Amino acid sequence: MPKRSVRRTLLGVAYVGAVVVTMVFLLLPIVAIFAHTSPAELVEQLGNPVVRDAFLVSLETSLIAQVLILVFGTPTAFLLASRRFPGHALAITLVELPLVLPPAVAGIGLLAAFGRVGLLGSSLDFMGITLPFTQSAVTVAVAYVASPLYIRQAIAAFGATNPDLAAASRTLGASPIRTFFRVILPLARAGLIAGLALSFARGLGEFGATIMFAGSLQGVTQTVPLAIYAQFDQDFDATLAMSAVLVLFSVVLLAALHAGLTWPRSESTRSQSLFGLSGST
Amino acid sequence: MPFHRSSLLVASVALAICVAVVGLALPAEATPQARITVYAAASLTDVLPKIDGTPRYSFGGSNTLAAQIEHGAPADVFASANTTLPSRLHAKGLCSKPVVFTRNTLVIVAPRANPARIRSMRDLARPGTKVVIAGPGVPVGDYTLEALKHAKLSQAVLSNVVSRETDVREVLAKVALGEADAGLVYSTDAKTVSGRVTVIGLPARAQPTVRYGICVVEASGDEPEARAFVARVLSKAGQGKLMAAGFLPRVKPTPAKK
Repeated sequence: MPKRSVRRTLLGVAYVGAVVVTMVFLLLPIVAIFAHTSPAELVEQLGNPVVRDAFLVSLETSLIAQVLILVFGTPTAFLLASRRFPGHALAITLVELPLVLPPAVAGIGLLAAFGRVGLLGSSLDFMGITLPFTQSAVTVAVAYVASPLYIRQAIAAFGATNPDLAAASRTLGASPIRTFFRVILPLARAGLIAGLALSFARGLGEFGATIMFAGSLQGVTQTVPLAIYAQFDQDFDATLAMSAVLVLFSVVLLAALHAGLTWPRSESTRSQSLFGLSGST
Repeated sequence: MPFHRSSLLVASVALAICVAVVGLALPAEATPQARITVYAAASLTDVLPKIDGTPRYSFGGSNTLAAQIEHGAPADVFASANTTLPSRLHAKGLCSKPVVFTRNTLVIVAPRANPARIRSMRDLARPGTKVVIAGPGVPVGDYTLEALKHAKLSQAVLSNVVSRETDVREVLAKVALGEADAGLVYSTDAKTVSGRVTVIGLPARAQPTVRYGICVVEASGDEPEARAFVARVLSKAGQGKLMAAGFLPRVKPTPAKK
């Protein structure tokens, strides 16, 4: 019938149109960055001390932050995933809070907590530790805004593991610690790695909390996002170069993640979507 | 003919897309806006709205604002904390010839309690002092470097700098919060938080010449209104409000002959 086929065509056009608009919209800024730089300029900018220092600060602080997130976040996520206790919902909300907090607010909060005149300021001072304006402050800010991303993923990953397998391990005589490291962790690995990637990417891009709490000083606290902002009006080429390198890095990260997750052909580590729940029945 | 839900859905989606596309494609200055947009230096945050409360204001580091204008930001007027930035825009044909509309003084601020006992510019050079200044390209940052050079304290003080902020109010905030031992801001900024900071003046030989320039952006959608705003700032009333806030007269009074 003519009317039905017209409607179907319209629907089809709207469907395809929406997809095209989405893809172009998401891709255009990234393509534009590379359209403005040439590979030669990129390489040249890597010799720029501002660019080099920014990447060194970013990588150092992000890596340390990730280790901290891993060490402190994993047991937290495991507890929240495996046990129900009064206040469980509150605990989950607290853990997810930095996620929805505007980064500038996180920065203010960090100052209010760890700043010189902050809540813990005098105690830290007493121990000889001053946080603001140090590279450690950057690490703290990055860890603060990035940890909820890892913890949420980890909770989902742990929650999706088959409890029977853990129980079986226990009945076979393995201690809880051994069960955790040899059974539960490998089962949850895919989700944990995805969470780590997310939090790493978030941490690398952190701006508001860092500039508020740690300030911005080349070679000390000026991360790549801070350097991009500072150089924006001074040296647009450096800005483009830093942006381009970050884009490439993100692409490599995602590709490595995809490869790493699809490689181990274990049933319970296969995941359909990168950041969805790790698939397991 | 039965009105099927799917055709209604398709029609509304198509309509929404059309509206979005048309809305995005319309040129920004199709119609003169009732309110102009003024891009102004952060140090003018409190005083400009007092001179004229109608415009939409965007306050920030003058260098960031200038860069945004270069990239097509919809400003009608640009009020900078120096004359270099608007002159640069004028040279690129992006705004009218800048006019000096006020002057200012650079001062040192320390937290109220002044834990580092900053009493003079020389104290900034004391090892271990945490100094916060504005970044390169930010007018107050450039003025600071100039002042340090005149006082021959550049190397010593710069080695004490712990952060280079993106505008003068951020420098002020870090000091007022007690996070830094000292910072360099305009005297007018220090006035806005007078109870929370201690102000230390600079020696005369170190005081840089601080001149604020204002210009009308070429791409403005409402030039008459933009020019009227500039006229308001330059008027007796406008200049009076600037003096009241602590700014200096636009023309340095010539010293009376003895």
